[in-house]
Formats: sequence, C-alpha cells, structure tokens
Amino acid sequence: MIDRGVRVVLVALAAASGVRAQQTPDPMNRAFDLERRGGYAAAAEIYRTVLKERPGESAALSGLERSLQPLNRLPEMAGDVSRAVAAAPTSTAVLGVAVRVWTLVKQPDSARAVVERWAAVEPQNEAPFQEWGMAALSQRDRETARTAYQLGRARLKRPKALSVEMAQLATLEGDYANAVTEWLVALRTSPTYMAGALAMLGQTPNDRRGSLLGILEERRDSLAFRMNALLSARWGDPIGGFKKLAKVVPRANREAVEQLQQFLEEVRGQNGHEGRLAQAMVLEGLAQRMTGAPASRNWVEAAQAYAEAGDQSSARRMLAHIANDPATAQEVATSATTTLVGVLVEEGKMDDADRQFRALRAALTEDDRDQLTRRVSEGWIRAGRLERAESLVVADSSIEGLAVRGRTRLFRGDITGATKFLRAAGPFAGSREASTERASLLALLQTIEEDSLPALGAALLQLERRDSAGAAATLEAIAKSLPSEGGGAELYLLTGRIRAAMDQSVDAERLLRAAVEPKAPGTAAAAELELGRLWATGKRPTDAVAMLEHLILTYPTSAVVPQARRLLDSVRGGVPPG
Amino acid sequence: MRRRDFLRWGAAGLTVAAAGRPRVAWGRGRAPWMLVPMDEVQADHLKAYGLAFRSLERGDKSEWFLNYRNGSFLLPASAAAQRDASLAGVTTVPIDEGALTEVRAEIQQNNMDAVPLEKVPKVAVYVPPNATPWDDAVTMVLQYAGITFDKIWDQEVITDRLQTFDWLHLHHEDFTGQYSKFFLNYSGAPWLLEMVDRNQRMAKQLGFANVPALKRAVAETIAAFVERGGFLFAMCTATETLDLALASVGVDIAASYADGTPMDPNASQKMHWERAFAFQNARLELSPAIAVYSDIDGHQVNAADRRQPLGTFKLFNFSAKIDPVATMLVQNHREVIPDFYGLTTSFMKQSLKPGVTILADEAGAPWAKYIHGERGQGTWTFFGGHDPEDPQHQIGNAPTDLSLHPHSPGYRLILNNVLFPAAKKKELKT
Repeated sequence: MIDRGVRVVLVALAAASGVRAQQTPDPMNRAFDLERRGGYAAAAEIYRTVLKERPGESAALSGLERSLQPLNRLPEMAGDVSRAVAAAPTSTAVLGVAVRVWTLVKQPDSARAVVERWAAVEPQNEAPFQEWGMAALSQRDRETARTAYQLGRARLKRPKALSVEMAQLATLEGDYANAVTEWLVALRTSPTYMAGALAMLGQTPNDRRGSLLGILEERRDSLAFRMNALLSARWGDPIGGFKKLAKVVPRANREAVEQLQQFLEEVRGQNGHEGRLAQAMVLEGLAQRMTGAPASRNWVEAAQAYAEAGDQSSARRMLAHIANDPATAQEVATSATTTLVGVLVEEGKMDDADRQFRALRAALTEDDRDQLTRRVSEGWIRAGRLERAESLVVADSSIEGLAVRGRTRLFRGDITGATKFLRAAGPFAGSREASTERASLLALLQTIEEDSLPALGAALLQLERRDSAGAAATLEAIAKSLPSEGGGAELYLLTGRIRAAMDQSVDAERLLRAAVEPKAPGTAAAAELELGRLWATGKRPTDAVAMLEHLILTYPTSAVVPQARRLLDSVRGGVPPG
Repeated sequence: MRRRDFLRWGAAGLTVAAAGRPRVAWGRGRAPWMLVPMDEVQADHLKAYGLAFRSLERGDKSEWFLNYRNGSFLLPASAAAQRDASLAGVTTVPIDEGALTEVRAEIQQNNMDAVPLEKVPKVAVYVPPNATPWDDAVTMVLQYAGITFDKIWDQEVITDRLQTFDWLHLHHEDFTGQYSKFFLNYSGAPWLLEMVDRNQRMAKQLGFANVPALKRAVAETIAAFVERGGFLFAMCTATETLDLALASVGVDIAASYADGTPMDPNASQKMHWERAFAFQNARLELSPAIAVYSDIDGHQVNAADRRQPLGTFKLFNFSAKIDPVATMLVQNHREVIPDFYGLTTSFMKQSLKPGVTILADEAGAPWAKYIHGERGQGTWTFFGGHDPEDPQHQIGNAPTDLSLHPHSPGYRLILNNVLFPAAKKKELKT
C-alpha cells in the first residue's frame, strides 16, 4: 500500500515526467515508466544508480521506496536513507522517507532523530510526528505511535495538537474515555472532524457501546451530547438520539439548523416506525426554524413521516401550519392536502376525506389521483359504504382498481363478480401482503358453488373492520351450512386461522380439525399445517411433529409441503428458532 | 472402526459395460434400491447425508458412489428409508437390479468408485456444555441433517472418553488457552467473562495450573486419539491452535492474561513442529491484542493491515479407485466454492508439512483451504473458516438457517467428513 506522502510525490512525479519525457530521456523517466508497468526491480536499480550520483535526490529516494515496497524489500533501503539524510539534511521529502524506513526496520532511535531534525526545519508543523505515528501504526506498533504524538505535543508546545491522531489511537485501543476526550478536542478545533469521529466510534463493538455512551453522557458538554445523540441514532435508537439532541440544540438558528440537518442525515435511511418518527420530529424542528418555501416543504415532509409512523394527530398538526400560510406554493399545498386526505382516511373521517379529495383531485397528476382515489375507496369500504367505494373506482381499469372492485363485490356477497375482478387483478397488484390476501380469497371463492352469499360478504367485511370475534362466529355458522368440498372446509380453515390469531387455541384446533376433510385435500393439507403451527407454538412439539409428518406423507404434492418441512425442522431443532 | 482395519473391497459385480443414467423402476413393482443422486437434481444435498446415516443406523448396507452423479448414495429401498426420504424432502430415484448393473458398469469404466458404507460412526463434537447448536457449523449441519452426535468437552477428553468415539470434530476452540485472543479487545463483554470463568473453573477442577496448560493437555489427548486410529476433523481456529498447542511444549506462547506470564518473545524459534499435525516453521504473533496466532493463516482476518480479501477455492480431483479417501472428502456438486472467513481462514502452503494432502486451494493464492493427512493409525482433516454460508461471520451475527442453504457446497464438505468413517475402504494402491 502506498501511503499518503508517497502518493502525493507519485502524482507530482507523474506530472513532471509527462513533460520531461517529451524532451530528453533521463534515467528518472525510465525508472518511472518501469514502475508504472510493474517492473519494480528494474526501476529500483535505476533509482539506486541515480542516488549513487545524487544521494540527496528526494524524487529518486521516493521512487526507490515505492519500488521496493511491493517487492517487500524496503529494509534494503537503510543505507540509501542514511546517505540521503546526510546529503540533504533539511529536505522534508527525504526526512519523510527516512522516518518511514527507520520505523519499518525497527530503529526507533534513528526515526526519532530524523523526526527531531524535521521538526527543527519546520517547528510549527505536525507532519513529522504524524508521519512517525502513521508509520508505527502501519507496523501495529501503538506504543511508538503514542510516543510520536506525545513528542509532537511537547515540541509544538500545544497540548491539543495531534488530537485526531491521539483519538484514533485511543479508539483502536478500545480506550473510549481517552478517545472521547481527544475527539472532543479535535472537534472544537474543526467541526468537520465529526464525520470521521462518528465513523471511527461507530465501529465500537456492540457490548462496549453502552459504556461509550455513558462516557459521553458524563461529559455534560453540548458537543458530547451531540455525539451521543448521533451515535445513539446510528446504533438503532433514533428517538432516544433525537431527545438527547433536542436538549442541546442551540438557540442560534443557523447552528440549530445545521445540527438538525446532520441528525436528519443520520436517520434518513431508517424507515421503520421509530426511524420515521424520529425523522418527523427532526423535520418539525427544522420547519420551526425556517420560513417560506423551505419551511412549508419541511412541514409536509414531517406530516408524511408522522402519518407513516402512525401518529395521525401530529401529522394533522403539521398540516395546519401550511393551511394557515397563504404564501404556501401550490405544489406544496397539493402535497399537504394529499397527506391530509390520507390522515383523514386513517382516522375514519371519510366525509372530510372525501370533501378534501374532491377539492384536490383536479390539481393532482393522473397517477397521484388514481392512487388517492383507491385509498379513499378503501376508506369507504372500511366504513361499510360499499356502493360509494365502488363508484370511485368504477372507471379505474388498472389492476389495483380491479382489486378494489373485487373486494367491494366480495363484501357485498357477489361471489361471481368478486371472483371475476380479483382474478383479473392477478397476483401483482398492490403490496405483497395485499396480493397474498387476494390469492387466499380467490382460493376460498373458487370452492363456493353459490353465485351470491351476502352473509359471507358481511362476515368478511366484519373481519376487514377488525371485528374478528364477530366475523369468526358468523363464518363458522356459514361453514356449517356449506358442503365440505363446496367451501365448507375452506371456511373452517379460515375461521380456525382467525381463532388461532386471537389466541383461542381450543376453538382454533376444533375448527382446523373440521377443515381436515378428505373431500377437500388441498384444504386438508393447509389445515394440517395450521394445526402443526398451533401445536408448535403451544408447546406440543410431539403432536406437531406427528401432524407435520402426516401432512408430508399424505399430501406429498401439496404446495404447503415445503412450509411443513421447514416447520418440522424448526420443531426438531434442526434450524435456529425464529 | 479404524483406518487400518478397512477391509478389502473388490469390484465384484461391476461387469456390465453401459453408461448413462439408470433406468428408473417406477411402475414395475417396488424397486429393491434407492439411488440418492447428489448432482443438481437433488432437492436437499445436506439432508441426503442424514438419510444415508440413518439408513446405516437401521442396519442397512449402503454404498457411496464416489464421483457418480457428484457422490450419490445407494440405499436399500425399505419402507423406512422411503418414509425418511419423503419427510426430509430428499430426492431419490428407485432403481432395479438391471439399472444398478448399468450404474456399476459406468462406475467401473470411469474415475468413479463404489464404497460400501457399513458402520455407523460414533460422532463426538468438542464444544462447551452450554453451547447452542448455532455456535458451530458442524453441530448446525449435523442437527439439520438429523445425524446424531455426542457433545464432549475438556473433562471427557482428559478422562479419556474419546476412545469410545470414531470421529471427533473441533470447531473454534483456542487450544493455546487465550480465549481466541479476544481477551483485551472484548474485555468486559458478558460472553467473554463467561468463557473465561468456565475455562478457569475447568482448569482448576481438573488440576491444571492455568487454562493454557489444560488446553495443551487436551490437545495432546486428541493427538493420541488420532494416533490410535481416530478420525479428526477441525475447522476455523481449532486447526491452527491445535498444532500450536502441540508444538509449544516447554514454550510459553500464551499472553500474560492467560497464564500470568508474557509470551516468550523468541517462541517462534523454540517450537517443536515435529509434534504438530499439519504445520511447521510458522512465525507466532507476539501482540496479545491482535486476534491472530501466527502466519499460518493466509487471510489474517483480525490484522487490519494484513487482512486478505475473500476469493473462491477449488476442490482438487483425485483418482477414486486409487485414492478413495481424498475422493470421498471432496465429493461435491460444485467444484469452485466461495471462500469464507474464520479466525483461521486458510493455511499458507509454505507452512504445510511435507506429505500433507491439499484438497482445495485458491488459484494463484499462496494458501490452501482444505487439507488432509494421516497420523499414526488415524487421519485428520482441517478446513479453514467458520461458517461456509456466513462469509464475513462477525460476533453477534444471526445464526445461519440451513433450510435456506440446502445445497450448500461448503457444508457438504463437512458432511463428507462425517460419513467418511462409515466407509469400508480398499487398500490404497499407492
């Protein structure tokens, strides 16, 4: 690996050689060309020849270092380095090579002497000590690196010099108390080190993170609190992190905005519930500190984040800021109203949602309009207003629209219509969860011989409206009235699943056993799998194993066999739990 | 069964010259045999080994068709075997005597061999008593495949219970007694405290001055187990540290946190490599803070400036009829396998003793991945790396779920080793 100092010289040399190569061929050009083509041994020989004539030639010395490094022959340079230092005792390029080589060949006294000489040439420069420390660290020699940095502080008469290097060293050693102290010193010198500090400290092993955060907490210092907040967010506690940050956000607007934006960047990729909630809080904080269009954008984004995190009232609170601002741009207002409609639908305030939607729809793009239409339609379904729901999507021929129409038909008990639309929607509309649910519904409907079964639609609508107990009772009654192979077994299976989800294992077992019906083998296999699951989670592993083995051996071609095998592995301890 | 006890096994019956896939026997009554193909058609390569193992447990006589359809098995098609295959989801092909004759002819004419599987190997895995199966690739795959095994640890080894087993597996144990050299970097971590406490208590209980002394004694007992004819399979850091422990008799190679005295700075020059299984002339890592033991490992995963990137390793091809042991160990449906890290990932070829058989290496790299050798009456096999399906493997990672990797070629290599002691082998012709 070519280190930083060498690389700089390499680039300079490349530029210089490009010019010189067109004029007179000289040994340095030849050596450099060889080096670029990977002929390191030959290049080294030429650099050596040059150094024999001009021992203090820094470009040749650096070239020799670069050429010997990939050959793993750097220790051979000791003699060249001694002669170079004697010939050019004030050349910092020569001294840099000397520090690296003496460190590599484990000559700390020589390395130190060169560093002292370099420091005498440039008394205010940290570079000699950085070079020594880096060379030592590349040899995994932390003690010498520490000596280098401490010597630097003494010679420079600045106890806060080389704090980044000391911080990195302490972090490498797992000495987090010192690492924090040094990083804080470095950050006070230059806040731009924050990304580096977070990157290094962010790699702290899981089991040491708590103590590191504790150390930061004890410092009772706003910079330490900020670092604490950012690391907490990075390590999976975005809300806790934000609360820590909120305690120390400065009054001055510019600084506060910078700090909030830095935190927002930290949590931007965290799209789970906590992540979205933390993003919403930061965006709210930013909006409060801004005016005009930037503020409006942040209010809308905060509302969207709150809504996605399930906090509808906070979302509405954000949107109110925009409603009260006549200067809000049209585009932002449209986005805000779209969010508001979504919030109202989630809250079940369908009349308000519908009114806002109708006022807004002309301003929306076609895609946004269709998407919002379906969302409102789903809201009307949950409100039990099925005709209203269908009227909204009647002209929508997209697969998502067909899926909504299929659901409205189903809840009205129109088995034929529901089957037609759900089948037309196919398996790809909407989310994976929605498409899976649709496929299950289709499997159920296809077994039912009646064209219309309003009681079933009503029961499924109860389920949609989260009345599981009422739905299960009604579905069981319908199952009894249908032949096993004509939907009865499928309905027992569905009802059994609902009871299992309600932790009513006795009823669930009774219903699932009723679904194990030889006349409906597809359903029977699925019911046996559910029984296996029920018993596996109910601490009846022996029964679960017997049932799953029965399933696999009795219905070997069933689509649920792979799931049954996986569950069997899990019950037997063949795969990790979870 | 001991290596030298393998009986001669002739090629009787391999007479009919024909090639190609066997005729399946569906629809002609129950076929007497069941072929378990191990090529791409196999639905669960890992559970297929369990099926063969349980067939042996039932007393069935089975065969391992080396290099035939990537190392297929031939099992009697008993009702129990068919039920077992169905439950495990293992692909099987029923074949009758005629079809089997064709298979044998193909085996006879090609670089293939049929090895009888006759004895259920008694399998022991060296792990701490409280370890979950998910800590160790071998226990994980044994559990997944449904192969029974016993767990043993220091007490059982020291009290010579090893002699009741045929096959012993070692995973990431540190036989230098330095707690995987995590002592400084993870100091205070509950799992490390527990590991240190458990080992120190065991050393005291068994009358050893410290943990390195206990582990060296365990290593010596394991070496004696192999000398007497045992089969040893080791992975990850157990490979390297076992040899370091054996070679360091009279040399202090443990850091002061482990035995109260610092490591001998000239330890590398004082090692007795003649006592080791596989390695020689290695240079030991002197820093107690770097979780690296020596320059045996080519990848040096825990030394930031020496760490090498992962590539792929390639299995060697051996002559099935002349060298069936090596052939058994490399049976696979993949020739080139993605590499995976461990505390010891690979073995520098320059550190290998003469006579060590390289079973797999990385093209162009100076290291081997998978090696094998003999010692006394027994054999040993070392496989670098921690978990074939978790290439980066870091502390705290979720355990590997093998139901998501039923075709894992890396895990197949582990299972080849488990079944290898069941094989009855012809005398080597070389």
